[in-house]
Amino acid sequence: MNAPMTPPPTPTAEEGINRMTDSATQMIRVTGLTRTYGTFTALDQVDLSVRKGEFVTLLGPSGSGKSTLLNLIAGMTQPSGGRIEIDGRDATHLPTNKRGLGMVFQNYALMPHMTVFQNIAFPLQVRRLSKEEIARRVQGALKLVQLAHVADRKPKQLSGGQQQRISLARCIVYEPSIILMDEPLGALDKKLREDMQLEIKRLHAELGVTMIYVTHDQEEALSMSDRIVLMRKGRIEQQGAPEDLYFRPRTLFAADFLGSSNLVEGTIDASAGQFRTSLGALPLPAPQPGAPATGAGVLMVRPEAMRFDPASDAASGWPGIEATVRDSIVLGGVLRHYLEADNGHRLIVQEGSSAHRARPQRGARLRVGWGPDAARLLPPDPEFGKT
Amino acid sequence: MTRLSRIAGPLLVPVLAWICYIFLMAPSLVVIPISFGGGGDLHFPPKTWSLELYREFFTQPAWWGTLLRSLVIALCVTVMTTLLVVPAAYALQRARMPGGRILTALAMGPLLVPVIVLALGLYLELAPFGMLNHTLTVVLAHTMLATPFMMTSVGASLRHLDRSYEQVSLIMGASKVRIFFRVVLPQLKSGIAAGALFAFLISLDEVIVAYFITGPDTETLPVKMYSALRWEISPIIAAVSTLLTLVSLLLAVAMMRLERKERSQ
Repeated sequence: MNAPMTPPPTPTAEEGINRMTDSATQMIRVTGLTRTYGTFTALDQVDLSVRKGEFVTLLGPSGSGKSTLLNLIAGMTQPSGGRIEIDGRDATHLPTNKRGLGMVFQNYALMPHMTVFQNIAFPLQVRRLSKEEIARRVQGALKLVQLAHVADRKPKQLSGGQQQRISLARCIVYEPSIILMDEPLGALDKKLREDMQLEIKRLHAELGVTMIYVTHDQEEALSMSDRIVLMRKGRIEQQGAPEDLYFRPRTLFAADFLGSSNLVEGTIDASAGQFRTSLGALPLPAPQPGAPATGAGVLMVRPEAMRFDPASDAASGWPGIEATVRDSIVLGGVLRHYLEADNGHRLIVQEGSSAHRARPQRGARLRVGWGPDAARLLPPDPEFGKT
Repeated sequence: MTRLSRIAGPLLVPVLAWICYIFLMAPSLVVIPISFGGGGDLHFPPKTWSLELYREFFTQPAWWGTLLRSLVIALCVTVMTTLLVVPAAYALQRARMPGGRILTALAMGPLLVPVIVLALGLYLELAPFGMLNHTLTVVLAHTMLATPFMMTSVGASLRHLDRSYEQVSLIMGASKVRIFFRVVLPQLKSGIAAGALFAFLISLDEVIVAYFITGPDTETLPVKMYSALRWEISPIIAAVSTLLTLVSLLLAVAMMRLERKERSQ
């Protein structure tokens, strides 16, 4: 039930088997799911399947429908149309507390009037476990998030990172088979966020739980997910493995949302093997699935795929584009150069930095280009830039 | 302007505030020394000092019995208002039900209608059913008067209560009843306490409605005081007023302590 336009991500042996037994291992299946608020369509006919144990990220700008989709799966809002299946059962109108899910909120949602222990014990009390069993499981969950020593404190006495760990512990303690996360790290600073990303990935691997993770942070999506579902205006724009979305975006929106890119508009001249643009005639990339074959298009090259002096790259006869260096900055391990072509078009080039690499002078004239496999042709998008 | 505000900040504002306090408090405070006066008639400052008025109050069942009745009524009003309004406020705030706004407005109604109109209305309405001169009737009428206050203070607590607590509890499988008692109610504690204090005090010193609907057997303390003032100008009133002020003060202090303890946790 994957959207037909999605290219299959290069399947590993294990994934291949999963695909064959699709219906048996699907934890969540959403078909034609729609949610409207008055005249506004927050979610528009979305189909999505999530396999058992998969880590799926819903990525998109605010208002793209990612949180709406999550809330519909959780049962916190009711769909205007479509169907939700959880673990093979119709859950479209099942009350939230009967869905057997776990969820982690951005604001942690730890009960302020309960201690850490009581907070984590709450879902176990709901399940009427014995006192000894509850104590044992709470201790286990606290150990799993490495916070066994704060059991008697109130949430307010903990740092943001600790609070989010406790809310993770509260979520895993009753072993739901699906965990939903709504921007769980949005309130944490960068360093802590990276630690928590690793922590969540570790828990995911250890528990084998199915995760649906909502974020607007593309780096987070790239680093954590088995599969990214990129959303835009209530629809799925593209989905696939992180490398799939990054290296093989199918739309301008996807190319722009994940990472930065050089974009050049132009017209395809297939007979001459050229792409005519305001920067001159550029070499036409090899045909790719989904790319336009004639007419207008947009050429995309990732900054790290750009090269200085492309003519010196053996086979390529293309001399590249002459441009002036406007700025060069060090971003830790990489150098990023901002250049301007003679017609004013801006180009970004990124390369590995090292202690010995001198930065080019501001105002220096350089030739830049890219290898034959580095560019992708995308269909033009009149609405792009308006979202 | 800045120089003025620099002087006004630390000096002018506290001075003005104290003047206001004294202006507002003086009439209530003046009865305290009078209550320790020598008896006979109301005088300020008293010519002689004694506890005569208090002795009189506590030896006349007509007085202390009325105080007891007023306290019982106020307690009943507090309990009833809490039991009725807390669930109602939660329902009105959280459930999107038809006519919810109208119900909210109705609950706030007693605040908008002049008390004398309410009192007259109750009198005319209850008289044919023979419900005047009943303690229960006073309790019900006072519950109505206290409702908007409980509604307001619990409503404010509810508005500050993030929905994600209830949402996460639902996801964890908790029933709505469990969520109300284990998640919502504990977090409304201070709002309920404030509302309950209001309810108790409103009932304790309400005079107009009680004057209309009580009879000789069900007189509340304020009604008795009012009649005493009208018919006999008994100086005992000073002692009663002091006692009433003391009760209110004790309750308010207890409330503040409770809140501070909660905040420090």
